[in-house]
Amino acid sequence: MRVRHGFFPKFVALKFVALSLAAFIMPLLAQSPAPAGAAPSAPPATPTTSAPASTGAAASTSAAAGNDATASTNAASPVPNENWLTGYIDLGYRWQTGVGGSLATYRSIVNLGSGPKLLGADFTITDPKGRLFDQIMVRAYGWGDEPYQTLNVRVSKKKWYEFNADYRDMAYFDYLPSYADPQLSTRGIALNEQSFDTRRILGSFTLELLPGNWIVPYVAYDRDSGSGSGETTFVSDANEFPVPNTMSDRTSLFRGGVRIARKSLHVTLEEGGTTFGSHQSIYQTPGTNPGNLTTPFAGQTMDLTSLLAAYGVSGSSTYSKGLFIANVAPWLDLYGQFLFSQPKTNVTYQQADTGNLVLESQLLFYTGQSYLVSAAALAPHTTANAGAEIRPFRRVRIIETWMTDHMHENGSANSNDGLSNLGTSAQIQALLASSLATNYSQTETDIFFDPTSKLVLHGGYRYVWGDANDAILPTAELVGAEQGKLRRNVGLGGITFRPTSKLSLTGEAEVASSGGAYFQNSLYNYQKVRAKARYQATKSLSIFADFTLLDNQNPLSGANYKYQSQQESLSLLWMPKAAKNWSFQGSYSRSTMNSDVGYLDPEYLIPLLSIYRDDAHTATALFSWNLPHYAKMAPKLTAGGSIFISSGSRATSYYRPFAKLFLPVRKNMTWFTEWTYYDYGEVLYLYEGFRTQLVTTGLRITR
Amino acid sequence: MPSTKCMRNIDLRLCSAVLFLAAFRMWAQPAEPAPPSVLPAGYVGSEVCAACHETIATPFEKTPHHAVETDKRKGFVGRACESCHGPGEKHIASADAKDIRNPGKLGAVAADKLCLTCHLNQATQVGRLESSHMKDQVSCLSCHKVHENGGHNLVTRQAPAINEQCAGCHANEWAQFQKPNHHKLPEGAMSCVDCHNPHGSIRPASMQSFGANEPGCIKCHGDKRGPFTFEHPVMRMEGCAACHEPHGSANPRMLTRQDVRFVCLECHANMPAGSTATAHPALGVVPPAFHDLTSPRFQNCTICHQKIHGSYIDRNLLR
Repeated sequence: MRVRHGFFPKFVALKFVALSLAAFIMPLLAQSPAPAGAAPSAPPATPTTSAPASTGAAASTSAAAGNDATASTNAASPVPNENWLTGYIDLGYRWQTGVGGSLATYRSIVNLGSGPKLLGADFTITDPKGRLFDQIMVRAYGWGDEPYQTLNVRVSKKKWYEFNADYRDMAYFDYLPSYADPQLSTRGIALNEQSFDTRRILGSFTLELLPGNWIVPYVAYDRDSGSGSGETTFVSDANEFPVPNTMSDRTSLFRGGVRIARKSLHVTLEEGGTTFGSHQSIYQTPGTNPGNLTTPFAGQTMDLTSLLAAYGVSGSSTYSKGLFIANVAPWLDLYGQFLFSQPKTNVTYQQADTGNLVLESQLLFYTGQSYLVSAAALAPHTTANAGAEIRPFRRVRIIETWMTDHMHENGSANSNDGLSNLGTSAQIQALLASSLATNYSQTETDIFFDPTSKLVLHGGYRYVWGDANDAILPTAELVGAEQGKLRRNVGLGGITFRPTSKLSLTGEAEVASSGGAYFQNSLYNYQKVRAKARYQATKSLSIFADFTLLDNQNPLSGANYKYQSQQESLSLLWMPKAAKNWSFQGSYSRSTMNSDVGYLDPEYLIPLLSIYRDDAHTATALFSWNLPHYAKMAPKLTAGGSIFISSGSRATSYYRPFAKLFLPVRKNMTWFTEWTYYDYGEVLYLYEGFRTQLVTTGLRITR
Repeated sequence: MPSTKCMRNIDLRLCSAVLFLAAFRMWAQPAEPAPPSVLPAGYVGSEVCAACHETIATPFEKTPHHAVETDKRKGFVGRACESCHGPGEKHIASADAKDIRNPGKLGAVAADKLCLTCHLNQATQVGRLESSHMKDQVSCLSCHKVHENGGHNLVTRQAPAINEQCAGCHANEWAQFQKPNHHKLPEGAMSCVDCHNPHGSIRPASMQSFGANEPGCIKCHGDKRGPFTFEHPVMRMEGCAACHEPHGSANPRMLTRQDVRFVCLECHANMPAGSTATAHPALGVVPPAFHDLTSPRFQNCTICHQKIHGSYIDRNLLR
C-alpha cells in the first residue's frame, strides 16, 4: 500500500534528488579509474567508531532510520590526498509490505512510504586555493516523498564569512482514532474530530561576516510555514458539528546583530523582527450535518445546513537583545542580558451559517447567522538577568544569579452577531477586553568547593517568586478574573566524584517548599534527585547508569495532588579488540509515573480521584558484525532496534527491530539492504494497532 | 534579459559591497603577526610536536583552533599545541606521556579553565554559567573535539550524531524518544540542540529561545505563538510541558495523560481552591463547568474547546 502525503511537492523533491545525484556522480565519472589492487574503501557503516563518546544506544535507532550518523562522519572525513570532493550519497528504493491494522495510526506515528529515495547525502567540497570559499558542506536526508526531508548547507571562507542554510520539510499527519472519542460504540459520525494532514516547512539562513575577528556582524532570516487540511468542529450553542477545514500560517524572522569581543569584555547586540500571517477556513457544503448531539434540544433537532467561516490573522513584532560578559578581575566575572520583544496580532473573523441553531443564553432559535469579529492583542515581554562568578579562593567558586521576566498582554475583541429566523432578525454586539500579566523572578546562589582534584561539592539556594493576573471583562460565563502568586524556596546540592579516570559519579538534588503556586499540579513541595555513573570496566567495556526521581505534592486546594516519577537506565558499550570483529551497544530503561489528583465531577460535583499510572520498559540494542572479507572487500552486518512496553493507564507496546547489511561491490560503491519491522499495539484500543515491514535497498557511493 | 545598464549597476553594487567588506575586514582584523624568533623557556613549538604527532597535527590545521598558531592576540604564535598541553620540552626529552599535560584527563574545572583561556568573555560563557552542564562538572571536552572531529570541525553538526552524543549521558531522555509519539529525533529529522542550548540559556532546562525571549517551541510551532486575544494562561506561565511530554509519550499528541479530559481536569478540577487552606489560590479551578463526563460527547474537551492554545476571538476558546 502506498502512503500518500497530501499535496507534497514531488517535483521539488525529484529535482533535488536529480541535482544531488548529478553533482555527485559527475565527478566520479570524471575520476580516473581505481588502480588495480587498490585497497578497498573502509566499511561504510561503522557505528562503533564514534561510540566511545557515548555508551548510550542512540545509534541503534538512528541506524534503524537509515541515517547512520557515524558512517557519514567517517565518510565526510578529509582524506590525506585532498580530494576536492569527499563524502557519500545513499540512493535506494523502499518497499512497504502493506499496513496490517490501522493505517491512520501508522501514518500518525511512522508515515514512511514506498518509492525511490535519496536516503542520505553528506559531502564536502573543498577549494584549496580558497577563492570564493574554503569549504562547502552539504547534508541531506530523507528526500523523495518522505515525511522528514532535511537539507543543510554550510559555506565558509576563513576569516571572511560563514554561511549556514538549513531547510526542513516535515509532514504532520495526525488521525489517531481514539484521540477524540474512546467510546466508539456510542459515537456518531466521526471518530476523530481534531485531525490534521499538514506539512511544515522551515528555512533558516545565517550569514556571519569576518568570523574570528574582534567584531563580527551577522544577519539571519528564518521562515516557518505550515499548510494543509484537516477536520475540526464548528461549535454552536447546544451542538457541535464536525466539518473540514484548511489552514495555513507563516512566520518570518529577520535579525541582525554584532558581536564585539575585547580582551576583558564581550558584547552582543541584536535587533530582530517577525511578521506572521495565518488563515483558516471552515466550511460545509450545503447538506444537513446533525452534529454530535443525538437528542433534541428543547424539543428541536439542532443541525447545520451550510457554513463558511474564515480567520485572517496578521501579526508582527520587534525585539531587542543585549548581552555582555566582563572579566573585571582575575577572580570576578560579571554578565548580564536584556531581552525585549513586543509581538502583536490583528484578527478578522467572518462566519455565515444556516441551519436550526440556538442561542442558549436567550433560548433564541435561529436559522441564519452572520458573525463578524475584529480583534487585536499586544504582548510586551521583558526579560533580564545578571550574575557574577566569584573565585575568592583557588578551590571555591560562587555563582550568583538573578533573573526576571515580565509579560503583560492586552487584547480586545469587537463582535457583531446577526441572527435571523423566518424574516425576523436580531443584532447582538459585544466588546470584550482581556489582559494577562505574569511576573516571574528568581535569585540563586551556588557555591562550588573542590576539596581535592577528584571531588567537587555543590550547594545552593534558589528563591522564586511571581504573580499573575488574568481577566476578561465584562466577566461572564466560564472565565472571569483570577489571581495567583508564586513563592518557592529551593535548596540545592550536588557532588561529582572521579576517583579514577575510569569511574565518574555525579549526583544532584533539589528540595523545595512552596508558599504558593499558579496551578494545583505545579511544582509545590518537591524533591528532585538525579544521579549518573560511568565506569570503564575494561578497555573494551564501558557501563553507564542514569537515575532520576521527582516527587511532588500539593496538599492545598483540596486536590491533594501527589505525583511521583522515577526512571533508571543502564547502558553499555562493548567493543572487544577495538571492534575489530564485532561490537555491541545496548540500553535498558525502566520508568514509572504515579499521579493522583482529586476533582469534582463537573455535573454532579461528586469528589473523584484522577489516577494516572505508567510503568514502562524500554530497551535498545545495536549489534555490529564485521563479516569475513572477500576480494579485499569488507562487508558488515548491523542489527538491533528498540522495544517499548508499558502498562498502566494507556498500556502500549511498540517494537522496531531492524537489520542492515552492507556489501561493498567495488571501490567507492557499497550495496546495502535494510529490513525494519514496526509493530504497535494498545491494550485498551485494539483497533489502533498496526504492523508493517519496510525493506530498503540501494547503493552508497563514496569518494 | 537584463539591460547592460542594469548589469553594470549590479556589478557596481557588488564591487562596492566587496570593497566595503574588505576594508571592514582590514579594520577589524589585527595586523598579521610576525612569528616569534625566540620561544619562551620550556616551549618547543608546534613543528616539533608535529614531527611525532603527525596524525593529530595534519587534521588540526583544518580546524578553527589552528588560528591559535597564527593569531598574535592569542599569545601562542607558533606553539598552538602547547597552548593547551603546556610546555613540551620535558616531554620531548623523555618521550613519556606523563611529562606533558593531557587536558582530556583533567577534571572538568581544570579543563574548562584551559578552554576559557581563549574563550573567556564569549556568549557561550554566559550560558555556561547558567547551565546544568557546568554545575554537573561536564567540561567543554565532553562534547568538543579539540583537534578535529571527522571533518566536522570541533563539534558534530549532524542531527543523528548530535543525538547519539547527548544520549551518551542523557540515557533516560533518550529512552523517552523510543515511545510511539515523539519528536522525530530517532528518525534523524531533529536533534537535541534544536530545542536545547548545550551551553545553557536564560530559559529553564537550557531551552532555546525564539525572538529573544519566547519559548523555542515557537520556532517550529509558529501558529501557537500568539499573542492571542484570549490566552490559555498556562501556556504563558508553565509552558508547553504543562500538557505535553516534549520528548515522547505513549499518549496521543504527547499528552501527559491518557485522555484529553484527564489533562484538563488536573487544573480544571472544580475545587473550591484556596477557600480556607491557602491565601494563594490555584488558577483555573473555578468556576465549574457543568458537563456530563460520562457522556462520550464531553470526554474530549478539545472537541469544543478546540483553540486550546489560545483563541483570537472566543473567550471560552471554542473557535
